[in-house]
Amino acid sequence: MNRHVNPEDSDLYALGALDGEERLELEAHVRSCDSCAREVDAARQRVALLALAAPAAAPPARVKDALMRKVRADRVPETHRAMREPEKTRGFGLGWLAPMFGVATVVFAGLAVVFWTRDARDLERIHALEGQLAEVQTRSQQIARASGEANELLEWPGTRRVALMPQPGMPKGRAGVLYNREMGMVACAGWLPAPPSGKSYQLWLVPAQGSPMSLHVFGSGEWDKPMAMHVSPGMEAKAFAVTEEPEGGMPTPTGPKILVGVGE
Amino acid sequence: MTAPAQQVPDSALVERIMAADEAALAALYDRYAGMLYAMLVRILKDTSAAEEVLQDLFLQLWRGAARFDASRGSLPGWLLVIGRNRALSRLRGKDRREIQDDPEGFSIEAVPSPGNLENEAARAQLMEKLRGAMASLPSEQREAVELAYFEGMTQTEIAERTGSPLGTVKSRVRAAMQTLKQVFEDESTRQSRRL
Repeated sequence: MNRHVNPEDSDLYALGALDGEERLELEAHVRSCDSCAREVDAARQRVALLALAAPAAAPPARVKDALMRKVRADRVPETHRAMREPEKTRGFGLGWLAPMFGVATVVFAGLAVVFWTRDARDLERIHALEGQLAEVQTRSQQIARASGEANELLEWPGTRRVALMPQPGMPKGRAGVLYNREMGMVACAGWLPAPPSGKSYQLWLVPAQGSPMSLHVFGSGEWDKPMAMHVSPGMEAKAFAVTEEPEGGMPTPTGPKILVGVGE
Repeated sequence: MTAPAQQVPDSALVERIMAADEAALAALYDRYAGMLYAMLVRILKDTSAAEEVLQDLFLQLWRGAARFDASRGSLPGWLLVIGRNRALSRLRGKDRREIQDDPEGFSIEAVPSPGNLENEAARAQLMEKLRGAMASLPSEQREAVELAYFEGMTQTEIAERTGSPLGTVKSRVRAAMQTLKQVFEDESTRQSRRL
């Protein structure tokens, strides 16, 4: 579909009334046309409000009560939550990471105290340890957040699990991807040997139509940590792949495929 | 008689949610739960299921508020779109075709709404106009739009359900949406004049 989207079709699309082929054509065009994408967004605005035509109804008070109870139970900071619910993260193989960083945090904190009391001349070292501690805490929070997002993905209908397998002759490794097209969310975790000097591993989403989209360029030591990424909602993923690229990544894949996983 | 207290904007409440302020979530719930629940009951025709989806929506907001970008969209717009999608998915089962209009994600963004839905009076006024417009549609047009919006049917499915030719259904849906679009545009114009 090269022509611009008819405004009436935008409404029908937002309403969900367009049938398969018409819908796919419109989606393909909108991906490459900003003005039509804006028109579709405007249609979404209008169509969402059709909800107001529903007969009035009030939820029972117990719904709010139950919600607030859950919220109170949920108030523990995300880091703690990830540690408290290992059974959820285990499903994606990430749960052990947050506790690991929690333990590391305690160890660094303990060392900092020991050095402080032992000798003031070690002040510089203490500062360095404090810096490392802050770094560990930040990374721990990032990992907990990524784990939390992966958990959230697992709970949502429509989330696909894709296993990325090593390609013949390539370094042995594995990765798992969770993808929810409607939410536009991707979570990934896995392991691979360190890339050759001057190279980076890069994760790609291969859409049903169009060119592969870069999801993440893995930095040094980052590969084995869980990552959560966001893409435009609605994008159909045909496959996911990890390629070896020049350090810092490339706009399109140029290097060999290391891991590949095809969607269901 | 005292003047009504200044309403706290959605964006400020979302920021407070990010700081784990339960009261802010409760305030947003009080603001939008009725509107959402009415839609969910209409779609699901099951109050228990509607209650579950409603609760999940706000729980999702509680957990994902950090991803809300107020500059890019309105919260009620997002809640309506996500709520509708979740209800339709539940209604038609996991294996149904995916709902197309869902920017669900979490990016709580890109679903701005015409009209000031944060304001209860404006919301009530828009609701009244919309219901009036729906009631004034020829019954076939109204049925077609309701089947699409509240039951998630495509035009082909509507044609099968109603026994009408596909072309006729397309004309009905288009005509109805044109009428409703005019209501929204009139309301947007009216509100922008008031600003």
